[in-house]
Amino acid sequence: MQQTACHECGVLVALPDHLSSSQYHCPRCNALLHRRGQPFSRIIVMAVTTLLLFVPLTFLPILSLDVMGMHSSATLFEALWRLVRDGYPAIAMLSILTALVLPVTLMLLLLLILIPLHLGYRPKYVARYYRAYEHAMEWGMVEVYLISIAVAIIKLSDMAALHVGPGLIIFIFFAMTFYITTMWFNPDDIWDRDALCE
Amino acid sequence: MPYVNDIEANRVLCTHCQKLHDVSAVRCDRCGGHLHQRRPYALLLSWGFVLSGLVFLVPANLLPMMVVKSIAGDDAGTIMDGVIHFLHTGAYGIAFVIFAASVFVPFFKVSVMLYLLLIIHFRWRARIMGGLKLYRLIHFIGKWSMLDIFVVALMVGLVQFRELATIVTGPAAMAFALAVVMTMVATEVFDPRLLFDMQQRSRT
Repeated sequence: MQQTACHECGVLVALPDHLSSSQYHCPRCNALLHRRGQPFSRIIVMAVTTLLLFVPLTFLPILSLDVMGMHSSATLFEALWRLVRDGYPAIAMLSILTALVLPVTLMLLLLLILIPLHLGYRPKYVARYYRAYEHAMEWGMVEVYLISIAVAIIKLSDMAALHVGPGLIIFIFFAMTFYITTMWFNPDDIWDRDALCE
Repeated sequence: MPYVNDIEANRVLCTHCQKLHDVSAVRCDRCGGHLHQRRPYALLLSWGFVLSGLVFLVPANLLPMMVVKSIAGDDAGTIMDGVIHFLHTGAYGIAFVIFAASVFVPFFKVSVMLYLLLIIHFRWRARIMGGLKLYRLIHFIGKWSMLDIFVVALMVGLVQFRELATIVTGPAAMAFALAVVMTMVATEVFDPRLLFDMQQRSRT
């Protein structure tokens, strides 16, 4: 039996050494204490896919507008960046950070964590990247940005002729693979391998 | 069966890798994380961030979020104006999404955080479990209040047709962004284990 404590209510619980169920919950507050993740190799592949999907997003337009012969289009990055010129650099930075920079950072951090572990390094060497990953997870907001594009499309549709660019379709796939990657990754697996080594 | 928590057993949990240590340990020997039985200054920081979030919510809802400048004149609208506009045009779904993400979620988050802090302050033992469930809920929906900031940023970025039609950011955007950040930080610095601690002490 391995003793641990619930991170949400503090009660001491004993988890069995060989976890048979895919999920373990706290007996008092029902917080998720342990869940089963996917193999690291699969997550690495998925994270690389997500990063590759991000490459075309840097130059493909997500939306374009036509108003009385005038044309305007923007990529994911440009749409947020124009707030800087508008005199709101703080909001622009916050949006770019949470919507684009952090999700990409998360995928890079996952690779930094999982590739060394896959090659047989000790978990202690990747712990610092994992702590960064934990913080970035709280602030990464790809899915919110995706829904906000949908809201913006509806708001703009009665104002101008709107065309959906190829960037938007790729962004939907990017958000999906991003979500799958973070779902598949179970942080406990980093340390469980440590137990196997000892 | 009485529940024994980490403080009573003189243990400390590493919140990064879930390894249990003796209370004397300062850093986790498995992942190197700093060990604290409870997040340091959790109550003080939560109170501070929740109250500042509440203060920023006032201008965020009263001032215009964005201004549409066109040949027909300037049109400044607050968040609620947008919701009402969509209700009138019959787009109930989009009106609901905007209302939920931009008006309901921020106020709900602030009220839940205040409720949790009051539970701890006045030791309302019967409300612990309900409080924890609400905490999980606001932790989950917390980031969705950023939706309106993104929408404004996108519309400002896309609608740039010089004299014909231009959208500029309104003064509420900054206040709203700050309110969202403050409430998110408030839930992050709060430690839900503090709710259950008073249940433990009540037995002794």
